[in-house]
Amino acid sequence: MIVFDDIHKRFGPKLVLEGVSLTVAKGRILFIIGQSGVGKSVLVKHLVGLLRPDSGRVFLDGVDITDYSEKQFYPVRKRCAMVFQNSTLFDSMTLLDNVALPIRKHKRLRDKVARREALGKLALVGMENEALRYPADFGDGMRKKVAIARALTLDPEYVIFDEPTTGLDPISANIVDRMIRDLSDRLGVTSIVVSHDLKSIFSVADRIAMLYKGQIRLDGTPEAFRRSEDPVVQQFISGSPEGPMEV
Amino acid sequence: MNGVLHRVGSSILSLSREVGGLAVLLGQITVRLFPPHLDGKETWRSFYKVGVKSTPIVVTTALLTGAIMAVQSSAFIEEWGAYGLLGWGAGFSIMREVGPILIGLMFSGRVGANNTAELGTMKVTEQIDALRTLAIDPISYLIMPRFVAMIVMLVLLTVIGDLFALVGAMIFADLMIDVSPQVFWHSLLEMTYLIDFLVGVIKAGFFGFAIALVSCHYGLKVTGGAVGVGRAVNNCVVASAIGIFFLDYLLTPLIDSAWAALFIRYG
Ligand SMILES: Nc1ncnc2c1ncn2[C@@H]1O[C@H](COP(=O)(O)OP(=O)(O)O)[C@@H](O)[C@H]1O
Ligand SMILES: [Mg+2]
Repeated sequence: MIVFDDIHKRFGPKLVLEGVSLTVAKGRILFIIGQSGVGKSVLVKHLVGLLRPDSGRVFLDGVDITDYSEKQFYPVRKRCAMVFQNSTLFDSMTLLDNVALPIRKHKRLRDKVARREALGKLALVGMENEALRYPADFGDGMRKKVAIARALTLDPEYVIFDEPTTGLDPISANIVDRMIRDLSDRLGVTSIVVSHDLKSIFSVADRIAMLYKGQIRLDGTPEAFRRSEDPVVQQFISGSPEGPMEV
Repeated sequence: MNGVLHRVGSSILSLSREVGGLAVLLGQITVRLFPPHLDGKETWRSFYKVGVKSTPIVVTTALLTGAIMAVQSSAFIEEWGAYGLLGWGAGFSIMREVGPILIGLMFSGRVGANNTAELGTMKVTEQIDALRTLAIDPISYLIMPRFVAMIVMLVLLTVIGDLFALVGAMIFADLMIDVSPQVFWHSLLEMTYLIDFLVGVIKAGFFGFAIALVSCHYGLKVTGGAVGVGRAVNNCVVASAIGIFFLDYLLTPLIDSAWAALFIRYG
């Protein structure tokens, strides 16, 4: 279980999170939605210690990890993988070496064995035929698929997907959606998915939380979002340019 | 007046911030030396990039520099008839100063700048954060191999550079003023000492260390996208050059007196 409790975060004068509280139940899929720049990426980075809150606590399975040192976060990060919004593959390595790196480092396998395992992970996202090419050869969408494969190498219990389907073609997006669903259904993986993709939101999410002006505007099932009469929620879901939201 | 004071104050502040940052990085590296752990692949990649790819330019510059030293001094050598001093003069100045300084500066411009740009780009594109989320320590994985490669390779390149500069000087001494290679080498070997070579090589090791520290520091501290990377590369080259000259003045007398002390003690 993941708990964010009253998280505040500012960058210089800019207040980004102003008291965000959120709970993600084990094995479930929570979608975080909200306008660009509202602080979705900032929020999820608190879970793996890439950002520290100004105040508030973060709990992972009941353990308060807020004040963990960088070193203490390493075991947390093995259990809790993250796919960044901008894929963040290592430019200097082939796709295969990108995926093999965490295997090589943490499972203490020989290079050959690690690569074979990595190839299997690449196959999960349909990139096994491009394994020996470099990230620069590919567009955003394909890089993101490889980043997903890389994040899953350590068999994490928790995965954060920051906009996993943005920039993907509809078929790849469906594959990724199904993968997230499968991870939860088959392996009991808990996922936090940051997304704008309405189709994935309503087909994959167990719960949805909407971030608006530094706080959670609504936190509920997809059904609750469909039925919500909050004009802000309505406007976001319908994508209408007119409404109470400031753009 | 106030404006000047303000500017002086803020440059002192930013200087101490940089020095503090360098000290922190140095501390992080020292902590990771016990026990030492190097990623084999990344270390090989660093050695290849730093060393193998720098060798041609070092050889070329060294040859040309040695040659021009012979050309420049030829008029005086002829005027004073000091043919027997050319080997010593070239050897002494190349091994002690010209070799390490010239190759150090070139190394900082090529390898240091490249390192800052690479690490800086990794920083702004969140590749370094990605390493952290894969539970891989960026200092151990990225920085340590670069340190080792830069120190070792700058020492080796300086040895190679010394050699080629001497060869360049020898060839041109022969061509310009008919100082035969035998006379050149004789004077070099008779009149220069092991310490003249060692001073240069030891300094090169420290220069390599300084360039590694400075270039990694500026790379890891980049903020602000591509513009920030450009600024960091600039700062790295300037700071490395200052560091090289500073260390040169500091180390030369230190090494010489340490050597003298050893000599008195043992022999
Ligand atoms: N490291 C940082 N330093 C300063 N400002 C930041 C940093 N990270 C994010 N921000 C700011 O926080 C706000 C929220 O960013 P982000 O979480 O990326 O939005 P999104 O909801 O689109 O993911 C943005 O205004 C961004 O400029
Ligand atoms: Mg984002």
